[in-house]
Amino acid sequence: MNALVPTRDGVRRFLSAYAIVAVLAAVFLLAVLISDAFLQPKYLFNVIRQIAPVGIAAVGVTFVMILGGVDLSIGAIISLSAVVSAVLMNGEAANLPMAIGVTCLVGMAAGAFNGIVLAFSRVSPFILTLATGIAILGITQIFSGGTARGIVSPGFREFFNYRIEGIVPVLSLAFLAAVLVGVLIQKRTLFGQYVFLTGSNRRAAILSGIPVRGVTIMAYTLSGLFGALGGLALLARSGVSSTMSGQGLEFQILAAIVLGGTTFEGGRGGVVGTLAGVLVLVIAFNIVNISGLPYHLQMVVMGLIIIAASAMYGQINARSQ
Amino acid sequence: MAVGTLRPRLGAGQSGIWLILAAGFGFALLFLPDFRTFENLANILRQSAVLGLIAIGQTFVILLGMIDLSVGMIAGLVVVLSCWLLDIYPALTLPVAAAMIMLGMAIGVVNGSLVRWLKLHPLILTFGMLSVLQGLIFTFTDRSVGRASDALQQLANGELFGVPLSAILLLLLVLLTQAILSRTHFGFHLLAAGGNPDSARKAGINAGGLQVTAFAIAGGFAAAGGLVLAGRLGTGYPLAGTGLELDSIVAVVLGGAALGGGRGSIVNTLAGVLALTLVSNLLNLFGVSAFVQMFAKGAIVVVAILANQPRRAAR
Amino acid sequence: MKLTKRLLMTTAAAFAALGLAGPAVADKETEERQTAAAKEAVDTSKFAKEGPYTIGVSAGYLANSWVVFALQHIYWEASEHDEIEEVIVTDAAFNPTKQISDIEDLIRQDIDLLIYWPVDDAAIASVLERTVEAGIPTVQAGGGFTDNAGTVSNAYISQWRLGEMVARNLMKDLGGEGQIIAMLPIAGTTAAVDQLDALETVLEEYPDVELLSAEYGDWNRAKAKQITENLLQRFPQIDGVFSPAGQMSIGVAEAFEEAGRLEEVTMSPGDEYNGWLKWVADNGQGGAVTFPTRAGQEAVKIGLSILKGEEVTRGTAVESEYIAPEDIGEYVDQDAPDDWWSSELPEEFLPKQ
Repeated sequence: MNALVPTRDGVRRFLSAYAIVAVLAAVFLLAVLISDAFLQPKYLFNVIRQIAPVGIAAVGVTFVMILGGVDLSIGAIISLSAVVSAVLMNGEAANLPMAIGVTCLVGMAAGAFNGIVLAFSRVSPFILTLATGIAILGITQIFSGGTARGIVSPGFREFFNYRIEGIVPVLSLAFLAAVLVGVLIQKRTLFGQYVFLTGSNRRAAILSGIPVRGVTIMAYTLSGLFGALGGLALLARSGVSSTMSGQGLEFQILAAIVLGGTTFEGGRGGVVGTLAGVLVLVIAFNIVNISGLPYHLQMVVMGLIIIAASAMYGQINARSQ
Repeated sequence: MAVGTLRPRLGAGQSGIWLILAAGFGFALLFLPDFRTFENLANILRQSAVLGLIAIGQTFVILLGMIDLSVGMIAGLVVVLSCWLLDIYPALTLPVAAAMIMLGMAIGVVNGSLVRWLKLHPLILTFGMLSVLQGLIFTFTDRSVGRASDALQQLANGELFGVPLSAILLLLLVLLTQAILSRTHFGFHLLAAGGNPDSARKAGINAGGLQVTAFAIAGGFAAAGGLVLAGRLGTGYPLAGTGLELDSIVAVVLGGAALGGGRGSIVNTLAGVLALTLVSNLLNLFGVSAFVQMFAKGAIVVVAILANQPRRAAR
Repeated sequence: MKLTKRLLMTTAAAFAALGLAGPAVADKETEERQTAAAKEAVDTSKFAKEGPYTIGVSAGYLANSWVVFALQHIYWEASEHDEIEEVIVTDAAFNPTKQISDIEDLIRQDIDLLIYWPVDDAAIASVLERTVEAGIPTVQAGGGFTDNAGTVSNAYISQWRLGEMVARNLMKDLGGEGQIIAMLPIAGTTAAVDQLDALETVLEEYPDVELLSAEYGDWNRAKAKQITENLLQRFPQIDGVFSPAGQMSIGVAEAFEEAGRLEEVTMSPGDEYNGWLKWVADNGQGGAVTFPTRAGQEAVKIGLSILKGEEVTRGTAVESEYIAPEDIGEYVDQDAPDDWWSSELPEEFLPKQ
């Protein structure tokens, strides 16, 4: 038998792994049909820049979900990071490294808290992170007194919004860099392997000596770190506007990750899938916006696109099993 | 036959929430004179009614290991539609109420069918449905519309010998649904299918049909919650349902149910609802700043779920 | 049978009407009617009582800087009067059901005066009536004029007049012709509804100005920016922007700037949001129509007058003022954060920085 003829199984596995790419292609096709703006590089990079905060944070949450958990506090961590970093910067360029460093530490601390509680107990990650999210929202409000205090350092926003060759905003490159780092962690570190193994079969992982608790704490800390970076990206993109700028983003992040093939059960998926899921989501939002539909119908259509993309993915996957 | 492995857990041993509730209640009675008034207690009951109704429906879905994020918007849609209709035909409270509940159940059937036939993940599907419903509500109106009939307002705000009517309704429904869960084939199958789907399937239980039914129940109860909410608000506020879905999930899980399915009870969910309302009430009475309240609410939920952990590892 | 037929016809008519949903709440006539109603006197004798007083504040929301400043104005004014003993504040976090509970809780805590700003007027109408029946006067602060049995008086800001002033200044700066977009706050709020209404009313006088699209930025700078980026893609020519909310205006302006199209657009006045004022100072256009946070202060003054049995009208307008771009220097504070409001609050009452 010719060894190069693809087996049925092989085709199925190929389809399953690249299902999200098919979905992305379909959504992109739809987008191009509605407006040729989507063919212009400047606009496309704009779109990528729009979703940078969500996308960067989603990289971190992907690890948590491969582990079989979930992080609903990510939106609050993003808000907190945006406010804390702005306050620390206090309008001085000299404060920039310190502000970024401390913000990352704050995000990691929040993530570590989630991770430690989850590693040493059996509570549901859904409820725990929901609760810590609310608590963090409260902390953000207490810290800021209700107004979004803080003044961004000069140069910070200009740097990230600068367009290379007039086309590529630095922020979108930062997003792609975050994805790259995520892929490296996933595929080339021991931690990455451990996350997959623990996610697919926790018991077997424990039995084979994997430090499951440590992996859990690390995954959530990573999520917190990327959340902080997402908050910085949000600050770069839109300046200081409110104490709740990250609110509601957790659902967009979750939707993007699940669209990308990482399921709630854990053990499968990956950062590349998340990238595709993020792109599907932002293209969907822009499709409805640019098509000129009345505002409220836009929400309906976005919901339908999410359902349709998810169904398509579910069908492709079901067929490959 | 593997019936033995199907024995459902009805929340026995998960009554930790009642202990926590009693502790909180006792503490408040001792240290807060403002709390002891009959009015305050009646207020707590009245404020629990809407969430309680929605949480009953959510319990059925969670028992099957699924989740329904659209219940908040179903309630919101009912608020808007019922007030709009009752403004024109105030005498038709009962028919409108019945129609709304059927609408809620119909949406639930759609949810359940999509999950079953398209194999969609319930979280994604109901999140998409949330967006769709929200968009529909806003297409219908962008401002408060209509007026709830006096009958509906009476249901939401009125009292019988000092006990709020809505609380009486809630209690009756809790008892009814708890009985359904523990004493009927349907309830037995539901818990079995949620707790151990493979064994359940081998025993011939139709999991797919149960899924659709559970979502229909969730939709119906969300509509009921929406009716009481409409009575409470008095008008069709379009954003009325926002956030209720998450609160209902928190209440169910606080009550000891497992998100993976197979364990939980309606009565314990009620305790979860009361606990949430109690926390808000206490924080208000303490005069705690709203921001600190937010932090405290999150912290209290963390402590409560740590104290209420499942004794077995979740699936 | 007849009933069913009527039901069907009503439903059909309603759905037909939806397509033509026009302004129902505020237009010029309503505005004039409200101004007249505001001047009516209130019988305060039944509320008069001796001090010391406890004031309850039911905030519909406290999570944005405007209301924080308004609340600080309440604290400031309260501190000036010894007969005010305590100010209790509840926050409904944008949830009207919670606001009902909050007001019920405040009543039980024996307040003498209720100052409030609603999440939604209609939702709390009946609990406010119960408050008045319990002998507690109610004063609405900072929203539109509320003409209900449950609201004794108002320190109101007419969003309609504010929108009208913004629109007229934009028309003037545009020279009466061009294509414009509108950026509005959260859909369904009084502010959004009235501002759009006012704009459309003013536009009737300017047939050469076309409204390309009205969008809802939810008072969110990032969202306003994202929506504007899409609008810039859809419409090759946008001459003007109607955006009374300064914090959204910044997002809109940034989108134009990054697209390299700032030169071609005229920004309408925003409000006195500090970040917007900084932008006006840097770019020399736009200006501001104020959305005064001192409404809180006015509400306390009105409340005290009621408690003392003095004469009070149904509503006192807290007037918006127009600030031209060239005068912005007196109002902007370059050292304060963007999320800040120009005001006369003394140092110790400013929100923390």
